[in-house]
Amino acid sequence: MTTTLSPQRAGLPPAPPLTRIRRGIGERIAPYAYIAPFFLIFAVFSLIPLLFTLYVALFEWNPIGDHTFIGFDNFTRLFDDPRFWNATRNTISIWLLSTVPQLIAALFLAHLLNHARLRFALLFRMSMLVPYITSVAATAIVFAQLYDRDYGLLNWLLGLGGVEPIDFIQSTWGSRVLIAAMVTWRWFGYTALLYLASLQAIPREIYESASVDGAGGWKQFRHITIPSLRPVIVFTVVTSTIGGLQIFTEPLLLNPINAQTCGATRQCQTLTLFLYEQGFGQYQFGYAAAIGVALLVLVLVIAGINYLLSTRIRPER
Amino acid sequence: MKFRFAAPVALAVALTLAAAGCSGGPTTAAGDDKSFEFWSFTGIDQKAAVQEYRKEHPDVRVKLTEVGSSTETAQALTTALAGGKVPDLVLIQGDDLPKFVQQPQNFHDLREFGADKVKGDYLDWVMSQSTTEDGQIIGVPTDVGGMAVAYRKDLFAEAGLPTDREAVSKLWPDWDAFIETGKKYTKATGKPFVDNAPTSVFYQAVNQVSEKYYDNDDHSPIYAKNPQVKEAFDTTLKAIEAGITAKQSSFSNGWSAGMARGKYAVVAAPSWMLNSIRTTAPGTKGKWDIATIPGGNGNWGGSYLAIPRNAKNPKAAWNYIKATQSPKGQLQHFLDSGSLPTTPSVYEDARLTSMKDEFFSGAPTGQIYTKSLLGLEPFYIGPDSAIIGQEFLNALTDVEQGKGDPAKAWDTAVKNIKTAIGQ
Repeated sequence: MTTTLSPQRAGLPPAPPLTRIRRGIGERIAPYAYIAPFFLIFAVFSLIPLLFTLYVALFEWNPIGDHTFIGFDNFTRLFDDPRFWNATRNTISIWLLSTVPQLIAALFLAHLLNHARLRFALLFRMSMLVPYITSVAATAIVFAQLYDRDYGLLNWLLGLGGVEPIDFIQSTWGSRVLIAAMVTWRWFGYTALLYLASLQAIPREIYESASVDGAGGWKQFRHITIPSLRPVIVFTVVTSTIGGLQIFTEPLLLNPINAQTCGATRQCQTLTLFLYEQGFGQYQFGYAAAIGVALLVLVLVIAGINYLLSTRIRPER
Repeated sequence: MKFRFAAPVALAVALTLAAAGCSGGPTTAAGDDKSFEFWSFTGIDQKAAVQEYRKEHPDVRVKLTEVGSSTETAQALTTALAGGKVPDLVLIQGDDLPKFVQQPQNFHDLREFGADKVKGDYLDWVMSQSTTEDGQIIGVPTDVGGMAVAYRKDLFAEAGLPTDREAVSKLWPDWDAFIETGKKYTKATGKPFVDNAPTSVFYQAVNQVSEKYYDNDDHSPIYAKNPQVKEAFDTTLKAIEAGITAKQSSFSNGWSAGMARGKYAVVAAPSWMLNSIRTTAPGTKGKWDIATIPGGNGNWGGSYLAIPRNAKNPKAAWNYIKATQSPKGQLQHFLDSGSLPTTPSVYEDARLTSMKDEFFSGAPTGQIYTKSLLGLEPFYIGPDSAIIGQEFLNALTDVEQGKGDPAKAWDTAVKNIKTAIGQ
């Protein structure tokens, strides 16, 4: 795919014949008309709400009462709010715990599936997608039961080995690991499949000539596989970052008793959940909008860092 | 290339359909007094009340929607009020009510329909919660909590404790005696006594006060310095330290499993809790009984019916309120579904006092719960009472789960409340 687009190989395109330019205005507008539905929907459901959020963030906004302009007070309050920093810490830890192991493991699994001589290869490849098509709500409920302190399967197994039951859901790190495990379980196969698809586009000859030159498995992986996968790695890093920083359903359903705070001490409350609590639990729409803006800034900053890091994986020349 | 055009067209059709879907399908004609839309929440069985009403008024059409839990219903109502498309009648849970009473312009003042003529039918302290400071009546109370303790007779017998409900009630005239009984039980059986302390002790004791989180007179927040709240908090800490709780938060998976397996013997049971016990642990039928609450009386919970300002058929909604929430209507609803009337005139009615609940060994629920309501002193419930209660509960839960330091719990709770409500 990348090779055909490479400018070094393709010659200059022939100059367009004069008649094509004169086809008329309809021809030129048509492409815009075709893409218009997406951009209209984008404007209605994304752009306008985004701008409106920025506006609401400047108000003390009771949805069924008064709207008072207070400037940047919501933001100064936010920076002094320990609950906000707690949610930020939780969000970043859960994101790191779920993204980094997931992407690395998916890469190795894809490499294996591509090279190993497997019987029923198709079955293995297809089964990786099963978690992805399972509903998030079902996943969260089942995981919460597996990790339960008193009646969970995991603690029962640990108990057989004489280990004291661990209260995953109530502890800070336990709940973070639990949520990261859910996310990883759900997305791991999908990511691996994306990697596998691009791996299959790499010509075998490159590997063969590499092994003729004496490169072992690790060297091949390091110098052929990873550089060839660069575009898809960047893609998965960016999408999993955006998704990972907005984790909502898993913490909401993990602890039904304190759903909006994910527990008595907000031990696994993420930023989106904090936003939901303030906006729809306590009806402070202005404050919730300010949280939304802060989250947007955080996503932009981390996506930027990601992009800079990912572009360092360059094909060796 | 026809399909290229087909795509945008299909999309436009889909969007139109989606928009139609949002409007909730066919709507009733405006202002015909013969139909209304009613939002309720799950678990309170308004369906039965509606069916009863339809039997007597077959010409009235009621579109009942059970939106979700009481909190979800309040959220949906908030969104609906902000958006302008509202139901004609809505059920609001007591904890969510203050936020709406603070913004009375969103609702009909029910005095327009003559609510001030019937307000004397209801307990005055219940009515005062849905009345604004200038006397507008926003809601009519449908039921109240009332307090009691549900206990397992079989487990009490194993521990060598009395099992008769009169004798058990005498075991705990106050909360300290309740904790002492718990210690005896745990010592005899080696098992926890009560499901958890934050809900079964704190949320009960803190609702037995004469003044709660706000000053009754000037309505300023006093949660941090009210000795009555502090006492309820310290009693709860004492219960946790006594090691008599199963550490199962109410309504959690472990709580349900523990109840069905008899892992604890006692649950504080406001009247609406009885139904939860019945559905959570159906196999324990006949093993339970009901004793009075330590401290004697108290109330937790209850709901209100309100009519949003932009309702299309406010008159039809009011007719429904008038018929179903009269003393006679509330008595009937109690006999059908067990929710406790707010109309004291029926508390002496033979049908209420003779009501026995077989699931709870034939306990006279009507008598026990109405007795817990008499002589209550009303306290003011402010706009942030629900948040304040939740933060106290969270701090106590943290101690009970073994992570929080009991010596710092009160200060933590007060600090968190200040962060949350800003005062």
